Amino acid sequence: MTAVYEVSNVTKIYPGQTVPANDAISLAVEPGEIFGLLGDNGAGKSTLVRQMANLLAPTRGTIRLFGQPLGLAPLYVPGMVGYMPQNGMALNNLTVGETLYFTAHLRGLSRRDAKAERERLLDLLDLGPARDRLVPRISGGQRRLALLATTIAASPPVLVLDEPTNDLDPVHRRHVWDVVHDLNHARGTTIILVTHNVIEAERVIQRVGFMRAGRLVAVGRPGALKASLNEHLRLELTFPPGTDPTLPPTVEAREIGPGHWLLVMERAAALAYVAQIETERQVEDFRLSTATLEDLYLALVHNAAPVPEVA
Amino acid sequence: MFLTSGYKERTQPFWVQLGDLILIQLANWRWSWRGALLTGLVAPLLSTAALGLFARDSGEVALAYILTGNMVMSLLFGTFDRVAAHFAYMRAVGRLDFFATLPIYRSALIVATVIAFLALALPSLILTLAFGTLILDLPLAISPWLLVVVPLIGTSLCGLGALIGLSMETPENVGNVSSLITFVLVGLGPVIIPLDRLPPIIGTISYLSPATYAASALRQTVLGLSDRIPLGVDLLVLALLLIVSLWAVGRKLDWRQG
Repeated sequence: MTAVYEVSNVTKIYPGQTVPANDAISLAVEPGEIFGLLGDNGAGKSTLVRQMANLLAPTRGTIRLFGQPLGLAPLYVPGMVGYMPQNGMALNNLTVGETLYFTAHLRGLSRRDAKAERERLLDLLDLGPARDRLVPRISGGQRRLALLATTIAASPPVLVLDEPTNDLDPVHRRHVWDVVHDLNHARGTTIILVTHNVIEAERVIQRVGFMRAGRLVAVGRPGALKASLNEHLRLELTFPPGTDPTLPPTVEAREIGPGHWLLVMERAAALAYVAQIETERQVEDFRLSTATLEDLYLALVHNAAPVPEVA
Repeated sequence: MFLTSGYKERTQPFWVQLGDLILIQLANWRWSWRGALLTGLVAPLLSTAALGLFARDSGEVALAYILTGNMVMSLLFGTFDRVAAHFAYMRAVGRLDFFATLPIYRSALIVATVIAFLALALPSLILTLAFGTLILDLPLAISPWLLVVVPLIGTSLCGLGALIGLSMETPENVGNVSSLITFVLVGLGPVIIPLDRLPPIIGTISYLSPATYAASALRQTVLGLSDRIPLGVDLLVLALLLIVSLWAVGRKLDWRQG
C-alpha cells in the first residue's frame, strides 16, 4: 500500500542561515496511523511538518503525499491535509461559529452540511459557549480548541497537528487526546502529531520519530524502541526531609522534586537496590517501573541512557 | 487512487470560493470601522472644510479640486493604505498560512480582498462626497461613468496596496511606508491643488502618480469638468495599474515559502 507520506532526504536551510533547521530527514507515514514527532524546542519538528503541509519548500529532498510530489498541483495538499499550526490566530475577524462554517464550506461541503459540521464540532470540542464570540476574545484554551476544530472540519483524510494540547487544562487535554484517538479509529484518519506532552501522547501514538538538532535520531513503534531500554528500570525514590541521600551507581539520576529522585538503573542493580532499601528503610517511598515514552525521549534526545538503534 | 483524486471533490468552484472569501474579508469591518471612519471620512472632511475656507474666493475650479482631491484621499486611505496593512497583518499573524492550508485559489483570495476592501471604503467615499458638496456648495454633475471610475480607482489602489503589504518585512514598516506613499501621491500632482498653482516640474512628475488619474477621472464624472487628461486615458491607466498590480500580487503571494 502506498505510504501517506514519503519524506526522502529532506533538508531545510533558511535564507541567511548556515546550520540546517532539519537535515537529511527520511521517513514514511503509513495509512491510518498516528505518527508522533518528538523532540526539544528547535529540534526541527515544526519545520518538518510545515514542509509536509507544503507551506515551506525543502532546500533539498522530496516529500510525496500518497505517492504524488508536493507542489505540483497547488490545491492537492490543502485538499487532503488539515494542518494545525503551533501558533496562529487564523481568522481572527470571525466568530468561532463563522470560522468553522467557512472552513467546512471551503473544504467542499455543501452549505447545509457545513452548518451541520459546525454544530458537530462546537459540540465535540465543547465550544458551544464560544460559538458567537470573536476568536481573539475567547480564552487561550478555547482558541486552541477552535483551531483544532477548524483543522478537523470536513474531515480531511490526513491531519498534521503541531502541539494540539498547548494552553489546555488537564480535562481538555485528555479530551483532545480522546478526539485524536477517535478520529484515527472511527474514521481511519492518518495523523502526524507534534507534541512535548510525551506522557499523555503515549496513549495515542502508534509510531514515533525522535528529532534532535534537526536530525531524526530514531523511528519505530514505542514498544519496540522501549524494549532496548527495558534492560533498564526507572526507580523513583522519596527521601525523608533533611536526608542527604546516598545514591547507587546509575545510568541516570535526576532530582525531580525536593527529596524526590528519578534513577534509571540496570535491571539487576535496580532489583538489588530495592531489596536493600526495603531492609534498611532509609527511603520514605519508592516506585519501580519499566521505561516510559518519556524515558525514551530523554534517552534519545538528551543522550541520558543508551540509544536504541534507529528502526 | 481514490484518495489522490479526492482533493478535487474537496475544492469548491472559483465563484463559491470568491463568495465565501468576500464575506470573510468583509468581516474586517469589525476591527477596521474606527480607522475607516477617522482616515476615510473625518480626515478628508476636515481637510475639505479647512481648504475650502482658504479657497472660498479662488473660484469653483479650486473648490472642485478640493472636493475630488479629498475623495481621492478617502479612497487612498480606505483601499491602498488599509489593504497594505491587511496583507502585512495576514502574513504576520499566520492568516495567510491558514488560507494556504485551505483548497482555495490564490486568485480568489486576492480578488475577494480587493472587492471587500473597496466595498468597505465606499461608505466613507459617499459621505465625503455628500458632506463635501454641502460644505463647498458645489453643483454636482454626476456621470454614469462614475460607476466605472470609482471601482476602477478603488481596485487598482487595493492592488497597489496589496503589493506594498506583501513587500514589507513587518506590519509596522507597512504602516509608515503606505502613509508616506499616500501623502506623496496626493501631494505630487494636481489632486487637491490645481495644476496652475503647482511648480511646473510637478505637472510632469504627476503623470507617474495614479492619484493624478484618479482625481482627473473624478473631476470629470462627479463635477463634469474638462481636464488635461481625457477620461479614456484615466480609465486606461487605472485599468493597466489594476492588471499589473494584481499580476504582481499573484506572483508575490506564493504562500509556499522558500
